[in-house]
Amino acid sequence: MSEEIKFTVNGTELEAKSGELLIEACENSGIHIPRFCWHKRLEPVGMCRMCLVEVETPRGKALVPSCTTEITEDLVVDTESEVVKKAQEGILEFLLINHPLDCPVCDKAGECPLQDQTMAYGPGESRFVEEKRHFEKPIPISEIILLDRERCILCARCTRFSDEISGDPLIEFIQRGNKTEVNTFPNEPFRSYFSGNTVQICPVGALTSTSYRFKARPWDLKSISSTCNCCSVGCSIELNTSQNKMLRILGEDNEFTNQGWLSDKGRYNFDYLHSENRVLNILEKNDDSFNEISTSEAIKKITSKVKELKNPNIKFLIGSHSTNEEYFVINQISNHLNKDKFLSKEKSNVYFCDDLLSRGYFEEKYTQATFEDLDKSETIVLWSEDIKDNLPVLYLRIKKAVRNGAKLIVFGHTNTAIAGLADFYFGKDVVSNNFDLMLNPAELKDFKNNVEGKRVTAIVGKAAVSQKKESLDKLVDYLNEISELKLFNSFSKGNTFGALQNIHEIKGLNEFSTEFDNEEKNIVFTIGVNPVNSSYFGKAIKENLIAADYVISLDLFINDTTELADLILPTTSLGEKEGTITNMEMRVMKQNKILPAPGSTLSEWEYLIGILNAMGINIEYKNEIEINADLVRDYSDKESLPTFDNLNKPSNLYGVINTKPINITTKDLKKQDFPLLMVRRLYGDSSTQINSPSISMLGSERFIELNSSTAEKYGISSKVGNFIQGSNSISIKIDINNLLPDDLVIAPINRRGFENIDPSKDFEITEARNREELSVN
Amino acid sequence: MKETLLLTKHMRENPENSHLIEVYEKNNGYSAAKKALKENNPGEIIEEIKTSNIRGRGGAGFPTGVKWGFLAEDEERYLVINADESEPGTFKDRILLERDPHQLIEGVIITCFASNISKAFIYVRGEYAKPARRVQDAVEQAYEKGYLGKNIFDSGKDLEVVVHLGAGAYICGEETALLNSLEGRRGEPRLKPPYFPAVKGLYNKPTLVNNVETISSVPWIINNSGKDYANLGVEGSTGTRIFSLSGHVNTPGNFEIEMGCSFGEFIDTFGKGIRENKSVKAYIPGGASAPWFTGEQLDIKMTIDDVADAGSMLGSGAVVVMDEDTNLVLAAKSIVSFFAHESCGQCTPCREGTTWLEMILDRIASGRGRASDIDLLLDVCDNISPGLTWPPKMTTICPLGPSAVSPITSLMHSFREEVESLLPRKVLINNE
Amino acid sequence: MTWDSKLIKKAEEIIKLYPQKRSALGPLLYLAQNKEGYIDDDSVVEISNLLGITEVQVRSVASFYTMYKQEPTGKYLLSVCKSISCEINNSKEVIGGIKEFTGLSSNETDPEKTFTFEEVECIGACGGAPAVQVNYETIEGVTPEKALDLCKYLKEEEPKVIVADDLQEKFGGIKSFEWAIEDNSGTSTTAPGFQIIGTAEEN
Ligand SMILES: Cc1cc2nc3c(=O)[nH]c(=O)nc-3n(C[C@H](O)[C@H](O)[C@H](O)COP(=O)(O)O)c2cc1C
Ligand code: SF4
Ligand code: FES
Repeated sequence: MSEEIKFTVNGTELEAKSGELLIEACENSGIHIPRFCWHKRLEPVGMCRMCLVEVETPRGKALVPSCTTEITEDLVVDTESEVVKKAQEGILEFLLINHPLDCPVCDKAGECPLQDQTMAYGPGESRFVEEKRHFEKPIPISEIILLDRERCILCARCTRFSDEISGDPLIEFIQRGNKTEVNTFPNEPFRSYFSGNTVQICPVGALTSTSYRFKARPWDLKSISSTCNCCSVGCSIELNTSQNKMLRILGEDNEFTNQGWLSDKGRYNFDYLHSENRVLNILEKNDDSFNEISTSEAIKKITSKVKELKNPNIKFLIGSHSTNEEYFVINQISNHLNKDKFLSKEKSNVYFCDDLLSRGYFEEKYTQATFEDLDKSETIVLWSEDIKDNLPVLYLRIKKAVRNGAKLIVFGHTNTAIAGLADFYFGKDVVSNNFDLMLNPAELKDFKNNVEGKRVTAIVGKAAVSQKKESLDKLVDYLNEISELKLFNSFSKGNTFGALQNIHEIKGLNEFSTEFDNEEKNIVFTIGVNPVNSSYFGKAIKENLIAADYVISLDLFINDTTELADLILPTTSLGEKEGTITNMEMRVMKQNKILPAPGSTLSEWEYLIGILNAMGINIEYKNEIEINADLVRDYSDKESLPTFDNLNKPSNLYGVINTKPINITTKDLKKQDFPLLMVRRLYGDSSTQINSPSISMLGSERFIELNSSTAEKYGISSKVGNFIQGSNSISIKIDINNLLPDDLVIAPINRRGFENIDPSKDFEITEARNREELSVN
Repeated sequence: MKETLLLTKHMRENPENSHLIEVYEKNNGYSAAKKALKENNPGEIIEEIKTSNIRGRGGAGFPTGVKWGFLAEDEERYLVINADESEPGTFKDRILLERDPHQLIEGVIITCFASNISKAFIYVRGEYAKPARRVQDAVEQAYEKGYLGKNIFDSGKDLEVVVHLGAGAYICGEETALLNSLEGRRGEPRLKPPYFPAVKGLYNKPTLVNNVETISSVPWIINNSGKDYANLGVEGSTGTRIFSLSGHVNTPGNFEIEMGCSFGEFIDTFGKGIRENKSVKAYIPGGASAPWFTGEQLDIKMTIDDVADAGSMLGSGAVVVMDEDTNLVLAAKSIVSFFAHESCGQCTPCREGTTWLEMILDRIASGRGRASDIDLLLDVCDNISPGLTWPPKMTTICPLGPSAVSPITSLMHSFREEVESLLPRKVLINNE
Repeated sequence: MTWDSKLIKKAEEIIKLYPQKRSALGPLLYLAQNKEGYIDDDSVVEISNLLGITEVQVRSVASFYTMYKQEPTGKYLLSVCKSISCEINNSKEVIGGIKEFTGLSSNETDPEKTFTFEEVECIGACGGAPAVQVNYETIEGVTPEKALDLCKYLKEEEPKVIVADDLQEKFGGIKSFEWAIEDNSGTSTTAPGFQIIGTAEEN
């Protein structure tokens, strides 16, 4: 495959890998061949015929599509002959005869391949005097995507994406020939976690997003590369702004991570930046309301509170949206402020806000995996929380690897969404409802046969808050022994790995709940977290925050957690700050700044350093570069440090893989048998999402999942019902999922209404008498 | 000049119920299958087919034995019978399906044995409801007899045959579109290469796709010999062929002849001349995709190569005769509309171009033509089939798009004045 | 469930004929058409469940083929060929006559749901041009007058079963070839009469 061979283009001899497509090989040598349907990441279909070139054959010159022709030794190609030019002009004319040419009102104008190529290769004037094909102008095909069939040139990029890449073919060609159109089924909208990618790859303005519609012209846009931190895949993105507003996020093609794709959450979760609900000034609580105060006043209040309380415990409840530089500063402030009380390692005071955090597998004996390893592995083993919802682009990478022949083995209950792709799905006979492995891995023949001696990539992490780490250990240690194992800890939230790398000791929420001693004096910093409405420990955390002597929240919004604070320090977010983040491969990548910090917001580190300084501790950082310079010292590979300098080089779009020691302390829950499995869905009621109007409706549905015999047990036959626990009654949609074991009921944890539900307590499900309102917002 | 009856012999001799297994067997039916499975090994059968030099009857005329030889090794392999016959003017497979389905099944049995195939599909176009019923009935009869199913003819071989109905799409006659259709997909032709489904076909497994008439010829070849078959007809076009004759002839119909006579003889002998003693203005030698010949070209020989040399193709063996009074612009428009209607829509030039051509012809035919329309027609054609040569060069995936060009180039080449007469005078002045 | 257990059972039998489930899509669409006279949304959902593909995939395939009707059809589907051999043999007049009688344009159905009329491409009856199909049963050599008689007959007699040989005898003329012995099977719906879908005897 990778053997270099020679071929000739327009008289020049070039080299390419044998088997490479002509269009790509030419591109690599700087020869651009026009195209519409071909897309590097999709199977070629050779439909638009724009990329026709002439090649020499034993029977003379022939026109062939360069997007489906593989390079062979000594191939002779002409991409500029008269015949080629005539053909290209002809194709463009054909494409334009039914195209509305409504460029003045089209979002794509200015960055439209059809427009560009018409300029470059097109005929002058149309000879088409007949009436064009007409369709109803844009029709919504989901809550966030619009389709204008008149503009469509039938390149099949969207249909191929949703079939091949995302595996939810909800958009398809309907009719045939000249009547062909792209559409969805009437009662089945294009509800895909990945639908936005089709907007990005549509070569015309046929697919558009509600969020970007009529917002800007490309020539008014400023753009910068950055990294998404909606989940720990760390997709490369391009931020587009105009007049200091974020208008659009595009996927960048990073060979190693997202390969151009994004989840819709990563793509569309940005309107919140400009939400009128965003906190832009420091707020201090007085009785039940908040008053604005200045930064210096706020810092003074904090320092005097620390003094007043005389050596309080100072705890940090941190989230996953900070940069590595910010975590580094959090680590410093926690060490300094607690100097007198917590010197020993056992007494860390930084708690990471993820119910599923566990000690993970970071010891030397485990080999860290990269996404590339998925493509190279013979078998992929998955046991973790639902990755389609929590690591959506990893789901795409696994799907791709499976399409290319890797075997997939999935362990049960949380990953039913990917079960269809799996060669082996180990459900109720293997995994108990408490997430114990009921059999020894070696006893599973299909498992053993597919991992023994093979190149295996495993993605493992707690699937449920109640799962014991021991149950995973059994699997991981077996794999480590019997296969060539590379391993991902499937901690899914944003910059989790950056937090782990830069905070020397980190604990979980279980610890935050149990170690909290109300008899003592406590100050709590919450930094970009809202566990009160999205954690199994939410209730306990709420009680602790209420009991605490002083709570300082660094955040963007007032929410169920920050409303408990005494002080809210408004912070910056995506595009408003600079820094690095680390993904689940331990790849460090750069986040860049393109927007000014709004109002009197500051970055988290600026507040924290300000507090330290006010308390007389002399740490000085003028900017993120200086922090970065400090924090890179701990990375193990000194050759390639993730400094801003290194990462800003274009070659480092791909980031740098580098490791630091990781030290996590978490304990398993005592109680194990939970009848209710609470899971995090991609969309939910996070403050950022509910303040992003273009996607806020997506996380509103409340539902439960259970298998049909469990449904029968509850006496449910309809699709709607009520979920009742104590005084809470929630109207819900009921989804039957027969991959679930008996007696296990799944409910979303990040939905309004479920925040007060305790999965360890009994509940009831009843049928709804009438279709009540199932959604909130 | 006489017909030579190989494939249509049984139905002619037993006009009442040639489709029943009892009748077929009484007339030596299934003897070739029995013989082949008992006496021959697969290699010998393929050799016999190669010797016969039979070329595919679906239109492309590819040597059948050679194609069988391409079939790649695999545990799973399939035979698919192309009974999608939809090329305007063609109705020869229909008679074979309706009147002699067992001959086809016998051919299927021998072919599968020769190529070690245990599952075959007969893809019949949906509009052929009655022929499809006949074939289905025949398949069931063959199952009952033990000629299909497990351990056929006690040979230790199994063979399953499924009759599958198409649903109204000419393009499914194109073999790769047919395979997509059989897989439950849109009938869109697949990309070439691979050029032959024999390498990668149904479910991506090696697959033989052959026409009904091609496979119906197999029992005769086995009962007699490849050499006997090769001795019929002429070199390069051996054996007999069933031609469908239609249009303005007195007696249209299917006629089985040895290839080699001229079109004029054929039309006179079997069509009994033109209705009302009119003369031939133009005729289509091989189905709607083929460029036309004029009434002056009636002495062209009916062989694959002669027709090709004269700039057209014998294609599906459908001869459509148009008399002196025929409005050729309307005739051409009918054919162009056909291809526009049947375009699968994948390729831009075919999807957009054929419809555009149809619109222009419609304009011309109804007197709304423009002086520039002839040039426009030819240039649009050129953008579908660069150079307007024969066999056509293509900007498309399959030959359907370029097929729509044939009637227009024919019209412009031989009947330009007829088109011009419909256009505003200016064009004539311009041309002077 | 819009498909009863009998239909589902039939569908499952059909699925078994094929090495891969999805191949049964075509035959299952015919089952739907046989039942409803067109491919209704409920059947699409049913088929998508049976085959494990999405609804829009089913619709995409169904809408590619002209014989799967997207809209309800009348009791009798009249298809008149307009391809080359029929075109030059006056199919236009046959079409005109039928249009006039039924008051329908191409691809329309009358309010009583008696007729659906369509102009179609070649139906392989070129020797018997012009040719007409009623529910996919072919009649060859149809003159404009006979076409009117055919419409009248269908409208007045409302035959339950369409048998090609019957109609050919009554309304046909020249044939593409001798059809041989009489054939009494036919169809009673706008789906073609074919065993696995259901012929007249079965329906
Ligand atoms: C547009 C198009 C339509 C075709 N239609 C038919 C058809 O109706 N019947 C057929 O047997 N072959 C048809 N063919 C030819 C087939 O692709 C294929 O060559 C043939 O089935 C092979 O069988 P043979 O070798 O026995 O001829 C068609 C080809 C094209 C390009
Ligand atoms: S040439 Fe026409 S029919 Fe053939 S593949 Fe292209 S669009 Fe489809
Ligand atoms: S880019 Fe090659 S055919 Fe469309």
